Amino acid sequence: MSQFEDRHLDFVLKHYKEGAFDTKKAIERFKTAQGIGSPQRRRLHPAAFAVPAAAALLLGVFLFMGHDSRKWTEITASSSHQIAVLPDGTEVTLASGASISYRMKDTREVRMDGKVFFDVARDETRPFEIDADGAFVKVLGTEFMVDASGDAAAKVYVEDGKVFFAKNPDSEGVVLTKGMGASIVEGADAPVLDETPDINSIAWQRGSFIFENTPLKDVLQCLSEYYHVSFVANDLSKRLSGEFGTDDLDLIIELIESALDVTIVCK
Amino acid sequence: MDFESLFQFNFRPLCLYALHYMGDTETAEDIVQECFMKLWEKIQQGTEVGNRRAYLYMTVRNRCLDQLRKKGLKTESLKPYDTYGIIDDDDAVERAQTEARLWTAIDSLPPKCREVFILSKRDGLKYEEIADELGLSVNTVRNQISKALKMLKEGAVKIFMFFFA
Repeated sequence: MSQFEDRHLDFVLKHYKEGAFDTKKAIERFKTAQGIGSPQRRRLHPAAFAVPAAAALLLGVFLFMGHDSRKWTEITASSSHQIAVLPDGTEVTLASGASISYRMKDTREVRMDGKVFFDVARDETRPFEIDADGAFVKVLGTEFMVDASGDAAAKVYVEDGKVFFAKNPDSEGVVLTKGMGASIVEGADAPVLDETPDINSIAWQRGSFIFENTPLKDVLQCLSEYYHVSFVANDLSKRLSGEFGTDDLDLIIELIESALDVTIVCK
Repeated sequence: MDFESLFQFNFRPLCLYALHYMGDTETAEDIVQECFMKLWEKIQQGTEVGNRRAYLYMTVRNRCLDQLRKKGLKTESLKPYDTYGIIDDDDAVERAQTEARLWTAIDSLPPKCREVFILSKRDGLKYEEIADELGLSVNTVRNQISKALKMLKEGAVKIFMFFFA
């Protein structure tokens, strides 16, 4: 790749707008327009977005009958995370391996397993209820994540809005608002607030890490957990602010190294 | 390459390509989006499209020219906006990719650093004015700008096609 020239930079700078030309958003827009990812009006050709099988975003959609003969629709994400739009307009992002099933008529009911981020469409006449095996969440319209992937606890992190979180519909719960998180430990009857909810717990959904004057030690811890590798730096006393895309680890490391003037190595 | 990857690799470069004609990010983005739709529909109808990337560049250009024509510009004099001399297709694609990488590199700058950089280079503010506006010292402003330039010079070469999200 050749080095850029000043005229390239001049042109880009002249027009640069934060948030413009966002490929991820464009892909979502495209999929929404084509009905891809929305099981209700699925026009997806079998070969559409077809991919080498292992790396594929397989969107398995099938129907099965509930006891009361009302249909549940199930969505499963296989190896990569998957975005789908539910009939009520709610957008769900499933982490790999997660699944949800839903039925929506007079109610909005969702059962789920794994890690799922919800951007719930507002509808005050029909509360949105999620049953995640040992965790119950009820909302009106908001953005939040339910993580039922761990063995020991179910976690909820709220990006925006207001959420009621309890063990089951009748038990005592907590109300969470923007930036708050809580978890239910195995065996406990009620959720406990996380004192330091982690904004990066939804990095996978947002596609970026956000650091705000975060100690480098915590930054590396966060990256280590996300990428399942272990990093150390020669100077852990520094702090980092900024937003970094999750899709290029090498670039993040390089940017941190040059911004903080440190050396980071993979253990 | 499957369609989603085609989208991922080419969306941003195509936007930059369209931007040269239209001079407006929103219009450019809409045009590119429409062209992907058009290609998708073609493929769905069973049409064989040999070189899909070349096809996209071609349809984006045609659509840009159509829109400019509608605005009443004379086609004979139509050349990509802001082009230095006439460039051939390969050069236009390469330029679009280079600019897309730069765009991505600017996106990846730390927010404060980017803000200072943009105020200086895009908006043409003087170091003193930026310092005033953001409550920083002139020295910090100078440092942030040279840091941004350094990161762009290093980063833009390293950011490859897959990092356009």
